Amino acid sequence: MQIQQDNQADEKVPVFSKWKYWYWLVIGFLGLLILLFYFFTKRFS
Amino acid sequence: MNFSGLDWMVLVTTLVCIILYGIYKGRSSRNLEGYFLGNRQMPWWVVLLSIMGTQASAVTFLTAPGQAYTDGMRFVQYYFGLPMAMVIVAIAFVPVFRRLKIFTAYEYLEQRFDIKTRLLTSFLFMLSRGLSTGISILAPSLVLHSMMGWDITITNLVMGGVLMIYTASGGAKAVGYTQQLQFIIIYVAMFVAAWWAVKMLPEGVSFTDALHIGGKSGKLNVITTGMTENGFDWKDRFNIWSGIIGGLFLALSYFGTDQSQVGRYLTARTEGESKLGLLMNGLVKVPLQFFILLIGVLVFSFYQFYKAPAFFNLALEKRVQQTEYAPEYNNAVAKYEVLQEEKKQSTIALTKALHNDDEQAIDALRDKIQLQEKTAHDSRGQIQKIVEKAVPGADSNDTNYVFVRFVGDFFPDGLVGLIIAIIFLAAWGSVAAALNSLASCTMVDFHKRLSKKELTPEKEFRWSRYYTLLWGVFCIIVAQFAYSLGNSLIEAVNILGSWFYGAILGIFLVAFYLKHVKGHAVFYAALLTEVIVISIYKMDMFSWLWLNVVGAVSVVVLSLLIQAMLPLFAKKAQN
Repeated sequence: MQIQQDNQADEKVPVFSKWKYWYWLVIGFLGLLILLFYFFTKRFS
Repeated sequence: MNFSGLDWMVLVTTLVCIILYGIYKGRSSRNLEGYFLGNRQMPWWVVLLSIMGTQASAVTFLTAPGQAYTDGMRFVQYYFGLPMAMVIVAIAFVPVFRRLKIFTAYEYLEQRFDIKTRLLTSFLFMLSRGLSTGISILAPSLVLHSMMGWDITITNLVMGGVLMIYTASGGAKAVGYTQQLQFIIIYVAMFVAAWWAVKMLPEGVSFTDALHIGGKSGKLNVITTGMTENGFDWKDRFNIWSGIIGGLFLALSYFGTDQSQVGRYLTARTEGESKLGLLMNGLVKVPLQFFILLIGVLVFSFYQFYKAPAFFNLALEKRVQQTEYAPEYNNAVAKYEVLQEEKKQSTIALTKALHNDDEQAIDALRDKIQLQEKTAHDSRGQIQKIVEKAVPGADSNDTNYVFVRFVGDFFPDGLVGLIIAIIFLAAWGSVAAALNSLASCTMVDFHKRLSKKELTPEKEFRWSRYYTLLWGVFCIIVAQFAYSLGNSLIEAVNILGSWFYGAILGIFLVAFYLKHVKGHAVFYAALLTEVIVISIYKMDMFSWLWLNVVGAVSVVVLSLLIQAMLPLFAKKAQN
């Protein structure tokens, strides 16, 4: 079976210089949310 | 439930606008790439909203507030694995799928392994997605049938059939653009609903008070550990660990290998826009889910001051009243109402203590309210048991009915119509994406791949439309059939997904990371895994979220073992 290859040129990463900063942002934001949720749970219970 | 002329006007106008917008936006080139991938021309924000619209079905907006009302906000932990999954899909899956310019995720499996692995995986996807789409049509229809008294067949047809007007004609482009508009309407309506719920709180009770009332009643349990006196509870469905680990595997399977999602991010203009759509989903999904659940807590706090129904499913309650169990039911409801009145007094006292900053009184009232809440919860459990006895086979779980009942009883004309409209829109968004993906698998993985005749692009386009229509009809038939069979089929279909998802993810993980493993090994590993997963499910060892982990790990380990043993078998066969 033949599958066509997409030879798209390397495109610019939006906002940051590398994708890895996006990945860290997503993981970091999750960590921050979990922390905030923890304090939210404590605050109102 | 009262549904006024204004409500009808809002409902019909919203739905007609979406259909017209879908038809207008859905004009695409008459070939497979145009029909299934919108010519890969979608900007990242349409991809993002399309991904979110596909994941959030009508049940999401019905179940989540009800779930928070009955069980608290810990359900949000179920989404903790999703952001991590978005990162992994962006790193590992997107570049492979984009660079190979494939239509379906399963096409890649033929190139990496063989045709039987591709067809098996595509078939498992179609089986589970086809059936679950039927159920996702029926679930909201059932709620509207019970609460509004609408005919179930007509509701099913509108819920799962009308969207075919733009889905079958416009394909992925129509699906993507309508999901964008649907999503905006849905969240605007939910914000209005939250604002109205706060506005209806009694005078002197603020939003923060409502949070304190929910919190002191144990409903703001956003983070839970699943630990009990006897150690970790493996059957606990929602805690931080099952959310992060089980949720990660579930989201990886869903976003990495389920064509209804893969088909969404393959429509992006570039690889970067596919990634950006997924990563933005990783950023916004958890806060949005938190917000939907918070509405459920506001509903709960509201009902601490007003009389809450003991049982939220109106139609089922009426059926119980016609049986010999009616007196027993009414007695149980009367007891529940007494408990509610006691709880109301405690809540009023708590609000006063909060305003006076009386820490001692707050602590004492919190313990009292939690005890009263537990007693009321048990009392509702008793009522549900009576319902089960009175109407055998009926679903006594009324979680999905909490929000609609609240809306119907307390929202003004027009807003009720808007909330009912978002139930339809949410259903349309997920069903449209499912139909598009089912048709793409049928056309690309089976028809085109197995057909000996070369088809012209026009004929491929026409066949794709027929398959979309056929899957639409299939899903509505499943919905109708499930309704006539009752709760058993709904449960069976929900279970079915958790049997296959992990194994499909395992096949893809082997494809990406274990380059020496070949088609035979992974194929038999997947079959063996299904036996293992179903056996573990039957033994009821732990919550279903963990089945995804077991399925994926099992395929990886068994593939390695079988691949290592294959030369030994070959030697034996030679001798």
